[in-house]
Amino acid sequence: MDTTSGSQLFDQLVRPHFDRLYRLAYRLTGSTPEAEDLFQELLIKAFGKLDDLVDIKEPAPWLARVMYNLFVDQHRRFARQRMLVVEEGRLPGDGLAGLPGSDDPVANNERMQRLTRLDAALQQLSEEHRIVVLLHDTEGYKLTEIQELTGTPVGTIKSRLHRARARLREILTADGTFS
Amino acid sequence: MNRSDDPSTLDEDRPLLDLLKDYPMQEAHTGFYDQAVVRATHEGSRRQRNRWLMTGFGSAVAAGLVLAFVSAVFLDAPTAPEADIPGVTMALAEPHTVNLVFSSNEALDRATLTVSLPDGVELVGFPGQREISWQTSLVVGKNLLPLKLIALTPTGGIVLARLEHGDRDRTFRLRIQIS
Repeated sequence: MDTTSGSQLFDQLVRPHFDRLYRLAYRLTGSTPEAEDLFQELLIKAFGKLDDLVDIKEPAPWLARVMYNLFVDQHRRFARQRMLVVEEGRLPGDGLAGLPGSDDPVANNERMQRLTRLDAALQQLSEEHRIVVLLHDTEGYKLTEIQELTGTPVGTIKSRLHRARARLREILTADGTFS
Repeated sequence: MNRSDDPSTLDEDRPLLDLLKDYPMQEAHTGFYDQAVVRATHEGSRRQRNRWLMTGFGSAVAAGLVLAFVSAVFLDAPTAPEADIPGVTMALAEPHTVNLVFSSNEALDRATLTVSLPDGVELVGFPGQREISWQTSLVVGKNLLPLKLIALTPTGGIVLARLEHGDRDRTFRLRIQIS
């Protein structure tokens, strides 16, 4: 296979899954630059395995597993490789600033405050708990999909989900988000 | 969202689940997917060539030579290409705050942070100092370091931020451009 036809075939195979894969990368890493790095690493790895990819009936779960393994291998290290640079006025959590909302400024403000507090609460969870709760409760992954992705038994995932929610409720009740 | 696999969901979880479902994310930057495919096919091809060269060396080659070759490949590998160094643009002689965010998956007490500045760029309040070190503690998650910089010449350059803890260290780079 020459380089051009290989590139075209690769594009056809992986592009339909880009949005879901990017969302996964973002939920794993928590920031756009790191998500883009992880996404990029996945594509490089996947292109190197193009011959295998062609024979895979469902590329999406395979690509997601490769991404998760890359994340575990390369991103769970002491101070991740990527340092973020945030311009003045765009601090962590500013992703919330561009949030589409209703025309009601009071409701928008309340919603923003609740989401900002949720963002802070999520940062207090362990990485394992944060990932499970984001994949299941935010992205809608089934327990079996998380099992397939992470290799963690469903019972353990359920336990992490239960504990993560309990901890989030505790934090968000203490800060007045929930009564 | 399908939560039919989650029989343990409690009524008290409902407000939390609604909030998590609303938790936003930032999209990848415009054109990122197309760029990622181009980089992947280019980099993937390069790595395949390197792998072929390594395989072709064969077992008869002296171990020292192989090691030298491996080193050369690693040195050649674009682990931190110039183009990937994050950058900020500053106006000459105008203080500009750059927020660096270090992500850490563990709390670190008494870590040492050293910032090295290029000629012509100073940290406000530390005139003439090219290197500033201090001890700090990192929490789990994102750690913000605001640096108030001022450019005294139009040269710009690379700021190095070196984080050390015990026998581990990591250096991050930031490109300063002067408009």
